[in-house]
Amino acid sequence: MLAVLASMMSHAAAGTDDPADPVLGRGHWAFSPLRRDATPMQFALAEWPRSVDDAFILAQLESVGLRPAPDADRRTILRRLHFQLSGLPPVLDDYFDYENDPLPDALERHTDPLLASPRFGERWGRHWFDLARYADSNGLDENFLFREAWRYRNWVIDALNADLPFDRFVTEQIAGDLLPFASTEQRDRQRIAAGFLVIGPKVLLGNDPRQRRMDVADEQLDTIGRVILGQTLGCARCHDHKFDPIPTTDYYAMAGIFTSTQVMMTRYMLGEQRMMERLVGIGEEGDQQNSAYETFWREQPRRKEREKQAKSALELLEKDDESGFTDLAAKHADAVSADAADRGRSKDQRVASQKELLERIRAEIASPPAIPPRGMIPCDEEKPADEAVRLSGQFDRTGDVVPRGFLRVVADSPAAIPEGQSGRLQLACWLTDVQAGAGRLSARVLANRIWYHLFGQGLVRTVDNFGRTGEAPSHPELLDVMAAKLIDGQWSMKMQVRRLVLSRTAAMSSSSGDPQSGRSIDPDNRWYWKADRRRLDPESLRDAIWFAAGELDLARVDSTVAYLGDQATAVGDNKNRRRTDFHCRAVYLPVIRNDLPEIFEAFDFANPHCATGMRPKTVVAPQALFLMNDPSVLAVAEATARRILVIDQYRNDEDRAEFLLASLLNMPNAGPERQELLAFVARLADTGTGDDQERRLRAWALACQALFASGRFQLLD
Amino acid sequence: MPCNNFQATWTRRDALRATACGFGQLALAALAGERTRAEQPPHAGAPGPNTARFAAPHFAPRAKRILFLFMWGGPSHVDLFDPKPRLNLDAGKQLSGKDVGSDREQLGELLGSPFRFDRHGEGGVWISELFPHLSQHADRLCVVRSLHTEGSAHGEALLRLHTGQANLVRPSVGAWVSYGLGSENDCLPAFMTISPPRGHGGVQNYGSAFLPAMHQAMAIGSAETPIAQAAVSNLGNARLSASQQRDQLDFVQSLNRRHSKSSGIDPQIESLIANYELAFRMQSTMPAIMGIQDESRSTLELYGIGSEPTDNFGRQCLLARKFAEQGVRYIQVSTNYTWDHHQKVQQGSIAEAAKVDRPIAGLISDLAQRGLLEDTLVLWGAEFGRTPMVENGDGRNHHPQAFSVWMAGGGVRGGLTYGATDDFGYRPVENPVHMHDLHATLLYALGIDHERLTYRHAGRDFRLTDVHGNVVREIFA
Repeated sequence: MLAVLASMMSHAAAGTDDPADPVLGRGHWAFSPLRRDATPMQFALAEWPRSVDDAFILAQLESVGLRPAPDADRRTILRRLHFQLSGLPPVLDDYFDYENDPLPDALERHTDPLLASPRFGERWGRHWFDLARYADSNGLDENFLFREAWRYRNWVIDALNADLPFDRFVTEQIAGDLLPFASTEQRDRQRIAAGFLVIGPKVLLGNDPRQRRMDVADEQLDTIGRVILGQTLGCARCHDHKFDPIPTTDYYAMAGIFTSTQVMMTRYMLGEQRMMERLVGIGEEGDQQNSAYETFWREQPRRKEREKQAKSALELLEKDDESGFTDLAAKHADAVSADAADRGRSKDQRVASQKELLERIRAEIASPPAIPPRGMIPCDEEKPADEAVRLSGQFDRTGDVVPRGFLRVVADSPAAIPEGQSGRLQLACWLTDVQAGAGRLSARVLANRIWYHLFGQGLVRTVDNFGRTGEAPSHPELLDVMAAKLIDGQWSMKMQVRRLVLSRTAAMSSSSGDPQSGRSIDPDNRWYWKADRRRLDPESLRDAIWFAAGELDLARVDSTVAYLGDQATAVGDNKNRRRTDFHCRAVYLPVIRNDLPEIFEAFDFANPHCATGMRPKTVVAPQALFLMNDPSVLAVAEATARRILVIDQYRNDEDRAEFLLASLLNMPNAGPERQELLAFVARLADTGTGDDQERRLRAWALACQALFASGRFQLLD
Repeated sequence: MPCNNFQATWTRRDALRATACGFGQLALAALAGERTRAEQPPHAGAPGPNTARFAAPHFAPRAKRILFLFMWGGPSHVDLFDPKPRLNLDAGKQLSGKDVGSDREQLGELLGSPFRFDRHGEGGVWISELFPHLSQHADRLCVVRSLHTEGSAHGEALLRLHTGQANLVRPSVGAWVSYGLGSENDCLPAFMTISPPRGHGGVQNYGSAFLPAMHQAMAIGSAETPIAQAAVSNLGNARLSASQQRDQLDFVQSLNRRHSKSSGIDPQIESLIANYELAFRMQSTMPAIMGIQDESRSTLELYGIGSEPTDNFGRQCLLARKFAEQGVRYIQVSTNYTWDHHQKVQQGSIAEAAKVDRPIAGLISDLAQRGLLEDTLVLWGAEFGRTPMVENGDGRNHHPQAFSVWMAGGGVRGGLTYGATDDFGYRPVENPVHMHDLHATLLYALGIDHERLTYRHAGRDFRLTDVHGNVVREIFA
């Protein structure tokens, strides 16, 4: 700890004068040129590395006196591989095939189908959703539903499945609405991608609109800064960054791009006009449908007023108050039917006619058009403009206006933003521009994120912070080589993932190796002398349990929140709460901010209010309680038991126990465990109420639940 | 084995990330300030960071815990604790902006208060006739009449009340307290919230945000549910007897121990094992705390349990006392969303006060006779007050500009009225106390310097009061 502190202090000392100076800041490792041609130092264990990545790892290990752990057994490797690429466990056939595959490219042949499967996008899309602070509701003060967010969610999943190059992936999310298109379908797809900017949380009520404008821009800027650049840009909102080369002027140069962008609009909702997320009709007819829908709601108060007056008119007619009726008819002609106003008719006729009008108005009120297909889509402001620096970050204390632009620590070249544009398109290109923009930094950040997801800790452990307050990379050359490979490989994320899962480093065992020297020399496993044992995230945990029960439906899903009203949480009279009883994969479950599915809440799901590159890893009581007691777990455990007792044919309990241990815990032929399991089942089947069959079913259900709750199930060895 | 290990995987790395952060003097200061918590990474079998042993108060603490009675919706201060004769004299007239320092010409028609106010106790604290039981404790109360905040809508104001911020997700006050002091109890979290609101920020109001998850509150029921039917999620399994579940857990633990042993005693698996034991203990402990069967008849009567309209809030307050006895550090009790009187503020205030008056008075008496009041700071308050001006003929609107809260116990000077508003209750004119100041003061009562209780996140140190907050020392004895 002291060593780290010392190095941090000397670091600070090096940037003596002004830490926010962008030119001085270029010396910081994250901004420096990529060392593309770096080669690993010497290493002795020549037969170990399979790739250049391995060589860097090995050289570093040997230099500190460590040896890599032996390979894990094939079954363990396969279980890891499946969870990492698909978020689901292998089935017994997969284990059997891989274990008995004699060919040298066995691992490749088991990897490629996983990369090609739609499960890949669901798994890695979820990693992106943590960063994109994806949610189906606004959160914060007024938790209104984001009814259309799922379209963005599915766009991300598709993009990862299609291995959309990362530079394009970023560009579409930041400026998709500004890109050229060849078809309506392409236009909509790109626009929906830009929903990335719209799905952030916003304080909707009670604050000054000028404050909100700056807050919204700040939220976008902070998200993009952390997610793509690994920079804490938000710090420069109130003052020059205290540690990183980001002066306040750079912050407002970028903020101007986002204050020149619209992500909100006034819409009629829950009885009034409100500032809400911006929605645009999609499809050929989208605009007309959307405008018809909005018009209907805008006019609804008028209709209700008309109903009220028509009702009064009817009452006046019925009690023969002719003068009151005449007054009303004079003021609200549209609330009185022509026949009712005709004194030549009988009272009955007039009443009947007025009643008919009232019914017609009521029918109109009660029949709004269906919600049209819409997307959460930004656009440029009509008059994009540069932004003034806000003194101390206060929206109403303006300083100098700064021309829109990007971070000067990256390059001096000013942004060429054409008149009448926000600059988002230029920003999007700059972010991944390797020559003139931040492409090198973005590639480093992305390469590190991929490494983090596969190995459990980043080479830069502060995955969202590549600034001076973050940590330096443990293997700087390796990080640079990976970043260069990403760039040279047309920013293909799948290729990067593939190379790393095939590496020797990925094959290491988590339990054996050289524990003595490993634990004393490198207790945190900073040099990767073994694999880190990792806990399943809640999505994988939930899917694996449902999968075991045969209760998981792998079909792709659209909205899982359509049944909710405009209020996303059940508050007061609104009893309508998000459901979690879907059989789809967890990635499609509703992400209501401040009302997450219970299993997400318990098991360290990312807080969807902000970009999260690294989820917390806690071990807290609600997790144990969830697995011990949650009704959904009990139900699925019972379904699993029913499956092995009724549906699948086994000769005897021995076979059942063997199946469960092998498929759920990856423990074939585990004698003692099998005996314990059988003894437990026998004991439980002897107690309690019900007939033999019921008791047996319950005993097996409890056994299955126990297996789900065990570390072998929850952890990736 | 201690079971206070709510987050056993607090690794050296986490500690480093969270605490050793700044540069130069800053870093050294932070490090020194954090040493108690940070330097002792817990491992299986050793005390976790969530324990009182690590508590190192910055000052001599006046209270060991805080019990916050939250009146959701915003009670009308001018009808309850801040009498305004001028308001009654001028009722029906327009309140002119210049009379209360507002830019707006006219602020609306003034609505007088129909309630009688009296001075109570030796300190002569003014309390309206709606709190006859509470009035008997007047010499234990310190009424702060000059609180002010931002956020004229409930959502924003609730978030500011509970977390100090509205547009960013920040830890709740209780989570900061838990982080700062740890738990005194082996089987309960340091932060419990009884019947929390689901709306207006929902879990964010009792969440831990970037602080470790063990600091978030354990929630009991929600505001919409009567407390008698409320439960902590998943704290029990109706399908199994305790012995069957223990049998099942033994099987799980046996699998886990074999797993750990085969990996050369893996700390990660060990913490999983410890966590199951903790959960099982919690589940065995909680029913006794949640139940009222062990309470005497006179205690139940004291809280108004068993009679209406006090039964529900009485049960909530009784539960709060039990948590206080158990050493929980921060306990919040919330009413339902019933104090938002845009219409009929008179009838509404009568009805709502009747629900809470006796239970609160009972709670104070009960804490006092058990010797708990001296180290429990009881806080009564809401997200904002209500306008002196009328709304909808007989109601009052939201008013964050000035409102009243009171405190009792925990070293607070009883019989004190602190701060004052103008003649109409519109704005504080003497000793204004901002929400950040209230937060700083609460931490101060617990012996914590709000400027030194920091947590490193996303590259910088965060604290409850951001860059604000002044401790109101005058309210302490």
